[in-house]
Amino acid sequence: MIEVKNLTKKFGRRRVLENVSFTAEKGQITCLIGINGVGKTTTLKAIMGLTPYKSGTILIDNEPISKQVYEKITFIPDAAIMPPSMTIGEALVFMQDFYSNWNNERALELLKFFNLKEEFRIAELSKGNTAKVNLLMGLAIDVDYILMDEPFSGIDIFSREQIANVFTSHLIEDRGVIITTHEINDIEHLIDKVILLDNGSVLKEFYTEEMRSQEGKSVIDVMREVYRA
Amino acid sequence: MDLSFNNRDPVYLQVVRYFKEQIAIGDLTAGQEISSRRELAGLLKINPNTAQKAYKEMEEQGLITTERNFPSRITTDEKILNAVREELILEAVSSFIASVRPIKVPLDELIKMVSEKYSQPGE
Repeated sequence: MIEVKNLTKKFGRRRVLENVSFTAEKGQITCLIGINGVGKTTTLKAIMGLTPYKSGTILIDNEPISKQVYEKITFIPDAAIMPPSMTIGEALVFMQDFYSNWNNERALELLKFFNLKEEFRIAELSKGNTAKVNLLMGLAIDVDYILMDEPFSGIDIFSREQIANVFTSHLIEDRGVIITTHEINDIEHLIDKVILLDNGSVLKEFYTEEMRSQEGKSVIDVMREVYRA
Repeated sequence: MDLSFNNRDPVYLQVVRYFKEQIAIGDLTAGQEISSRRELAGLLKINPNTAQKAYKEMEEQGLITTERNFPSRITTDEKILNAVREELILEAVSSFIASVRPIKVPLDELIKMVSEKYSQPGE
């Protein structure tokens, strides 16, 4: 489980995160939603130890981040992560050399799943294919937790569908996934848990199926209530 | 598999309902092996944990049986299978009645219309 407790961060005098607390379980897909402004990406970066924070605690399987803990988790940003001059095939070789926990069998399975070819050059990929390559690079590392920044943002509908299909397939296995998004429409059925953020604070945390069972509300219904309040 | 879910009812119950419909129309038959939870999640494009919950619910309702290390199967209990069919038909009839009752159509006129319409193909 990833536990974020009272995370607070400021850029100068501007408050970026204010007492952000939530948990994300292994084997579940947790979605950080914010319709505007900062907070989502910063939270992921804080979990990864990529940005300093003023106060708060972040625990991964009950332990603060360390080299060993770091090997359990990977972060997939929303921009291209591999050098643009590389082909996908070269990027795979690079990753295999770099990561001891790289799973090449899964990488090749994902390549096929996404209809990507090893000879495609990173610089020439569409936004949708860039997102797929990023996801591939993240999923091919054997880790327990995957943090993904806006995997569905700004890409075509077919790429969205293909990426969504990964979340329902065996490729995701029992990993814990945290994704950020500002748009929930076609992924409501994929996610276990929702954290609604606004202006750096958590407004609500809930399980989607519980919300449907107990209150008969969709995620969008809850977002309307919370963000328009 | 093409199935669209609504966002306000629990997805696992919508999956259970989908299985009941398949049983009622005879696409799933007694003792038939069904997809694994993971396969179902992929087919219906739903969260694997939700698929798991749907299977648990169907086991509790006696619709499917699972023996350790074997694929789940549709029950062979005819009583349960007939009850599923009856439940769905009754539900459809009730909602039909609820929508025509406000029009206050005499029952024999209604029955005549139903039997005429029912025998027309493609309706």
